Amino acid sequence: MIKRLFVGVIGLVILVAGVAWAECGFQNDIPLASLSNSFESWKVVTDAMAECGNFTAELDQNFSQKQPAAMAANPSQYAIGGVSNSTLVPLLSDGLVRPLDDLVAEYGQDLAPSQLIKVDGQTMAIAMQVNAQHLMYRRDVLEALDIAVPTTYDEVLAAAEKIQASGLVDYPLGGTYAAGWNLGEEFVNMYLGMGGMFFAEDNMPAINNEQGVAALEMMKSLTSYMDPEFLTADSTYVQQQFQQGQIAMANLWATRAGAMDNAEESEVVGLVEFAAAPAAVPGGPPATTLWWDGMTVATNISDAAADAAFRLMMEGLSFDVLSANPDTAIWLSSGQIESRIAVGAVESARGGAPSYPASNVMGLLHTAAGNNIADFLTGSESAEATLADIEAEYTAAAKEAGLID
Amino acid sequence: MFVLPSLVMMVAFIAGPLAAVMVQSFQQTQDVFETVEQEQCDPFGCTTTQVTRPQLDDEGLPITITKWVGWENYRVLLDGKSVRAAFSDAGQGFRDLTDIDFYGALRFTLTFTLLTLPLVIVVGLVLALAVNALQKRVRGPIIFVTLLPFIITPVIGALSIRWLFIGDGILTAALERLTQRDIAMFAQGWTIELLMLFYRVWHVAPFAFVIFYAALQTVERDKVEAAIVDGASRFQNLRYVIIPHLMPLIVFVALIHLMDSYRVFDEIIGFRAEAFRISLQWLTFDFLIPDDTGNRSIGRASASAVLTMIGIMIILVPLLRNTWKEHRRG
Amino acid sequence: MEGKLFRLPLRLRIVTWVIVCSWLVLAVFPLFWLAVMSFKLPLDAFDENPLVVVFGPGTSQMVGGISAIGLALALGFAYLLVRAYTRRRVWFERLRAADVPTPLALPGFYAALVVAALLGFVLLVPLLSRVAQLALAGVPLLRVLVEPLLGLTTQHYQAVWIENEFYRHFVNTMVVTTGVVTISLTIGTLAAYALARTRTSAAFWILIVALVFRALPHSTLVTGYLPPFIEFGLYGKRIAVIIVLVAINQPFTIWMLRSFFMNIPHELDEAALVDGCNRLQAFWRVIMPIMWPGVITTGLFSFMLAYNDFLVSALLLDGPTRTMVPAIMQYFNRETTLTDQLEAIAAAA
Repeated sequence: MIKRLFVGVIGLVILVAGVAWAECGFQNDIPLASLSNSFESWKVVTDAMAECGNFTAELDQNFSQKQPAAMAANPSQYAIGGVSNSTLVPLLSDGLVRPLDDLVAEYGQDLAPSQLIKVDGQTMAIAMQVNAQHLMYRRDVLEALDIAVPTTYDEVLAAAEKIQASGLVDYPLGGTYAAGWNLGEEFVNMYLGMGGMFFAEDNMPAINNEQGVAALEMMKSLTSYMDPEFLTADSTYVQQQFQQGQIAMANLWATRAGAMDNAEESEVVGLVEFAAAPAAVPGGPPATTLWWDGMTVATNISDAAADAAFRLMMEGLSFDVLSANPDTAIWLSSGQIESRIAVGAVESARGGAPSYPASNVMGLLHTAAGNNIADFLTGSESAEATLADIEAEYTAAAKEAGLID
Repeated sequence: MFVLPSLVMMVAFIAGPLAAVMVQSFQQTQDVFETVEQEQCDPFGCTTTQVTRPQLDDEGLPITITKWVGWENYRVLLDGKSVRAAFSDAGQGFRDLTDIDFYGALRFTLTFTLLTLPLVIVVGLVLALAVNALQKRVRGPIIFVTLLPFIITPVIGALSIRWLFIGDGILTAALERLTQRDIAMFAQGWTIELLMLFYRVWHVAPFAFVIFYAALQTVERDKVEAAIVDGASRFQNLRYVIIPHLMPLIVFVALIHLMDSYRVFDEIIGFRAEAFRISLQWLTFDFLIPDDTGNRSIGRASASAVLTMIGIMIILVPLLRNTWKEHRRG
Repeated sequence: MEGKLFRLPLRLRIVTWVIVCSWLVLAVFPLFWLAVMSFKLPLDAFDENPLVVVFGPGTSQMVGGISAIGLALALGFAYLLVRAYTRRRVWFERLRAADVPTPLALPGFYAALVVAALLGFVLLVPLLSRVAQLALAGVPLLRVLVEPLLGLTTQHYQAVWIENEFYRHFVNTMVVTTGVVTISLTIGTLAAYALARTRTSAAFWILIVALVFRALPHSTLVTGYLPPFIEFGLYGKRIAVIIVLVAINQPFTIWMLRSFFMNIPHELDEAALVDGCNRLQAFWRVIMPIMWPGVITTGLFSFMLAYNDFLVSALLLDGPTRTMVPAIMQYFNRETTLTDQLEAIAAAA
């Protein structure tokens, strides 16, 4: 962790960076680059990798838009690609990432078995962290109103009603309901929580059913307790609402948990607690999906470069680096890292939350859902019509891609 | 001969891609898929599922086939079936029509273009006249400040407006105090649309202003004086001397503005308006950008790009006829 | 001063000032607010109470701020700068009297002003207010003057410019804009001149096609560029962006320059041709000298396009070769923390 010491020598803050982690174990001579998402944990890992020299990291929230094209070049523009469950799919299906078994055998002694992402027995990626949306709540608000931590969405609604009546916060609930990917993800969570299945035979969509309607209805009930601008609320916005003390509960990403205790941004330091995602139906699994983030090595680079890239990755994922930042992410490591923020995701996993069912057809359905559900939430269409719209948009896209006949 | 370098650039980087887009709008390029059983292990355990994935050739590249599909992409985009349904007895006419992505985008793009046009010109003109009436001494700094919204990088400008209004941004909070109501500017379509219109006028009016202001400097004094001596009122002066003098530039600004606002895109992204309002260019962009799992709809994107292009040509026809005449006259 | 004939009656003068002033407020306020936010910790910057944003209690508590005396010093210094600026003419007169070449004096003057501003605000004002603080800290009543009044932090600026080496993006932007402006003006004036002087229908169609190109949504064109540019090894090179921006900007350049050329009478080139110049000479010796205003105006627009471009630069450049705007957007795209967002604004400022 870089500590910024502000020295008021001449009334002006002068920044002195003190580096607190271990130096890199080897000197990297081959210029390498990585392209990945941009949340805090990527900054930690890539900063540590940069210590080894000749390494540049491109952190971009929209990385997935150019990753396949850039890695398809020969030589690949990026030696290391940061991926998650879903963004691994296009790299895998176009053969853009290489099997890592040899490199794991040579340099990967410190990796935990759970970090190896294997496809048909070959290691294709190294996972570094687990991520999931789970319940975050303001302990002080729930205690003041004597509300038990909700475990189902019906309890969430009941609690929201009480909080609303108390007027302790502006809005009882927050949610990442921004139209597009975020909204699609919320639907996936809720629909799986209701016990739904996305596809029938031959990749045909199958969401226009009871569970689909129930999922949408529940989402709509939740939004009535949210800031009315929920359709533009992404994770950062919800995080900000929490930090400004405007909301009391939200199903938010584990990677955002650390920010609640950042005194420079947050007014609610120490007041936000974490729990498993609520279940959609009593006795059901927590209505959330589990994700992992990790790194891959490009196919289209020399073996020497791949070798160096993998060693860099091992430096970035070393126990020293990760354990110095325990509250940034739920790290995967062979060593024990005590973290305050892990409880929500761990409890969700223990409760049986499924991992996100990433595939190319799922990608299309996710997009279609994210584009159409707003119509239902604003009340301009019925649940059935919305689900039919999603299926129609999915079908058109899947036909164009050649995924269905 | 002089045109050559410029022409080469335009052909290579504009016409080339354009031709490709036109061709692609009649094509579909697909991977050849196979459905296989695949075992995948991740931190949450191992699962075996049926996976549809592209077949790879010997070099490890996906095998693709490209086929001509005629008007299929256009058919899917225009969605004739839903249009008929919207105007059938059970449908709700235009409300249903604008629920279909393409028509919704068309509706917004056209209203946006046609509403901002007069606003930009009027605001620009009024500002130019007002500044022109000030003492010479103060004009310099005032012109500079007036131009700020135009000079500032668009993404920053859009953001500055957005932050004033998003959530309980300070202006929203002020409005709430004024009206004693809970206001959420980003919770329904029309307020976002209003903000986007406002932003565009804020951003472009200085451009119109500076052009008009420059032209006002070349108004011949004698003419104005003669008109005043003849007893023309200020308004008549404006109407019969100044406006005609500015007319070519008003046309120029209108032309530029029509083309730019028809391409409206930054506002949609900047104000996160996707849930409520989309524009034609956004629609194309959305088809074109791969999702997380790498799917993109090049065929439909091309079709929507071609339709967008046809649209702008129709809007520009009157202006083009003007140019033709002018060109003939030389 | 204006002739008597043009003097406005009081009523109209008031209307004029009201219009101008309200626009000025409208134009400046959002940007001013952004600037204020960039000096605060996120804690204060995103507060819903405007007073909190301006005074930044959280910021002053955690980082410090500027005291009343410091504020007064800063304002006084700003006044001095403005005064120096308004009196520049007087100084120029003196310089001219001393035979210093004036073309050098103007940039020199602005450079001196910028340096003075930097030195003053970064060194002088903090130093003096620190001195004042040490001197007055013990005095009971005057202490109020030296205690932080406005919470203020420059940490976002430091993070952006020092830690993240933002000057690189600045250099990139300069390279790209210079390249785009020079190239597009060179080939643009040639083309526009030719198109303004012929009356063939081919020329007309070129113009029309150029116009349609101008109207095209950029995203349609741009996404196609990625694979070929990677193939030719141009990805990540600034020259790639320059070429593409020149091409995209050609239609506008040609149209604008053409309208300027149209205002120059034919007789002028004909006279030059009669005098034994060939076309190129006529163009260069006779037409260009009177075309400068048009060229400069067009150049300014090219500059703005290149400077503000996001789509092309974001797609074709990466890492250290990025220009400023995509680099700023980069901060938003990793906007996982509010600090990032404020850093972005600091970068933009």
